[in-house]
Amino acid sequence: MNRFKLFQIAILCGCSALFAQNKELLYDFTEIPQALLLNPGMQTSFSWYAGIPLTSGIYGQAATSGITVHSIFANDGLDINDKVRNRALDAMNQRDEFGTTIQLDLFNGGYRSKENPQIFYSFGVYFESNTILYWPQDLAYLAFDGNADQLGRKFDLGHLKTKGEGLTVFHFGINKEIDRNLTLGVRAKIYSGIYDFNSSKNDGYFVTTEGENNLLANTMVADLELRTSGLEEIRRVLDDESDGTVPGIITKRALLGGDLGLGVDLGFSYHLTDRTIVTGSILDLGFIYHAGDVLGYTLQGTATTEGVEVILPDAFSDPAADFWQDLVDEIEALIPFEENTNSYLTFRPTQLYGSIRYNFGEPVDGAVDCDCGVGESSADNRFHYRNAVGGQLHMINRPRGPQAALTAFYLRRVGNFLSLKTTYTVDKFSFLNLGVGINVQAGPINFYALANNLFSYGNLADSRYTSFQIGLNILSWGAN
Amino acid sequence: MEEQNFDQFDDLNITPTLEASILYVESPEEVINDAPGAVWYIQTFNFDAFNEAFFADNVLDGVITYELENTTSKELEIIFEFLDDSDTVLDTENFRIDPAPTAVLRREIAYGNATGRSLDIIRNTSAIRVSASNFGDNTSVSSLPDPMIIFRSSGKFRLRLK
Repeated sequence: MNRFKLFQIAILCGCSALFAQNKELLYDFTEIPQALLLNPGMQTSFSWYAGIPLTSGIYGQAATSGITVHSIFANDGLDINDKVRNRALDAMNQRDEFGTTIQLDLFNGGYRSKENPQIFYSFGVYFESNTILYWPQDLAYLAFDGNADQLGRKFDLGHLKTKGEGLTVFHFGINKEIDRNLTLGVRAKIYSGIYDFNSSKNDGYFVTTEGENNLLANTMVADLELRTSGLEEIRRVLDDESDGTVPGIITKRALLGGDLGLGVDLGFSYHLTDRTIVTGSILDLGFIYHAGDVLGYTLQGTATTEGVEVILPDAFSDPAADFWQDLVDEIEALIPFEENTNSYLTFRPTQLYGSIRYNFGEPVDGAVDCDCGVGESSADNRFHYRNAVGGQLHMINRPRGPQAALTAFYLRRVGNFLSLKTTYTVDKFSFLNLGVGINVQAGPINFYALANNLFSYGNLADSRYTSFQIGLNILSWGAN
Repeated sequence: MEEQNFDQFDDLNITPTLEASILYVESPEEVINDAPGAVWYIQTFNFDAFNEAFFADNVLDGVITYELENTTSKELEIIFEFLDDSDTVLDTENFRIDPAPTAVLRREIAYGNATGRSLDIIRNTSAIRVSASNFGDNTSVSSLPDPMIIFRSSGKFRLRLK
């Protein structure tokens, strides 16, 4: 069982991820093909591109809204118990969260239609994992302080909220320049769920009050549920209860042998003026149906106990009664802990992006804007201003409701080989998130590196939010 | 780059204090009058809460609170005994209470701290025996409404989770 616990910890802490997922540096960075994954309606002028397998898009992100590792483990001579009390227990609430996201392009490519150069196709497969754990405030107080001397205090069991998943996504997108001003895009997705766990609709409380008969009464009202998929088979292998290997199970489930789902991304870009562009996209409108290797756990019911109660003369009727066992059995009957194998549906964490961009400065390399379609010349007809500024909005649907981030950005192009993007983002994790992205085009080789929250890199352990993305592609611009 | 010291985790203490009722016994005066001898009630209760591995391995200290309320016309004695698996008496608490009207008798017994009794008593307890004796007559009835003897108890224990 220890190995399974290690596996669980690895999911929770290592390869797992938070649902912050805002990729403000990559969004609408039109020189980078992977930006099409954030807006299938992005303006493109690629002829074709091919991502280097496993390296075309590597993305990692970690975030915490409450405390940092440094808050607790700084070598500052303070008592760790005081730090946990003052900086975690008394400072965080149930809306604070921890987590990470990892996304890895397995392969990714795209090409422009020869028959209709206004259409660009892109496709690929990527792996993604997300985990989020909200700070279970009342349960943390119960664990650290207990219920003693707190008559009437209701410990909210609904503070327990966590969710995590690992999946591969097979996708195919169509990007079409409708006219000189409007580009639309759509991307279809097939999800292959590898593992999933979620416990996000919990309710109930635990309270200690004065008893009606005895000194104290402990009451639990519980409606707790944990649903898992793809974990039980791994547990059986790790516990030598069945044949097979963990990599074999994961590979099978990653290649459409696990839970399946469907989704779609939609996006657009529209020129308000020659220099002003608005864009928008909605990503992962979809679901996964978890039907294979499903195991759920529930704890539902209401019970109040005042300990063993003996009421005479009634108790004389059964002098051999085991009052303690009767009490345990009664509580277990009132709040049964049960397992089930019920299939379930999860909806993807739908994201929304929007932006407005203003281009200014000289055209790159003196190129001239023309009223010709993409692919009709080798020029990049719309993207050759040296500078751009703008704002972006990102929203994502989370277990405790939508979460938003606002970004201001500045984009600078140096010739046709170098682009730099800087962002300043405000969200619940940080009010001082400065990011920088660089895209280098060396002949057909395209390399990009994006990193945000740069102020945190002096002490990552004190960072509430860190993400990076790198990638390597081979691509060609303009006409086929 | 500021330093972190992850060895501090070893110094983290998670020691909640939990409390709950243990045993409640009530008996109307007529039950006492109906009993032929002085000992009108004796019962051994299986009680596995204390010697459950999780509790026994992690308990640090605690207090058991007893409360005795007598509205009968009799002087009564209640003996509360902790027993181990082989019915050996590990600890005893005696209560003697005057006939009504009399104040509620309340007593707190500490275990595990500097002045308390041994925690091994708690750790090894698997049963509780309650015996009750009548030091009065078998005929009188208190003029108070619903005369009875009520025994209440609760435990408050500190556990080490980390």
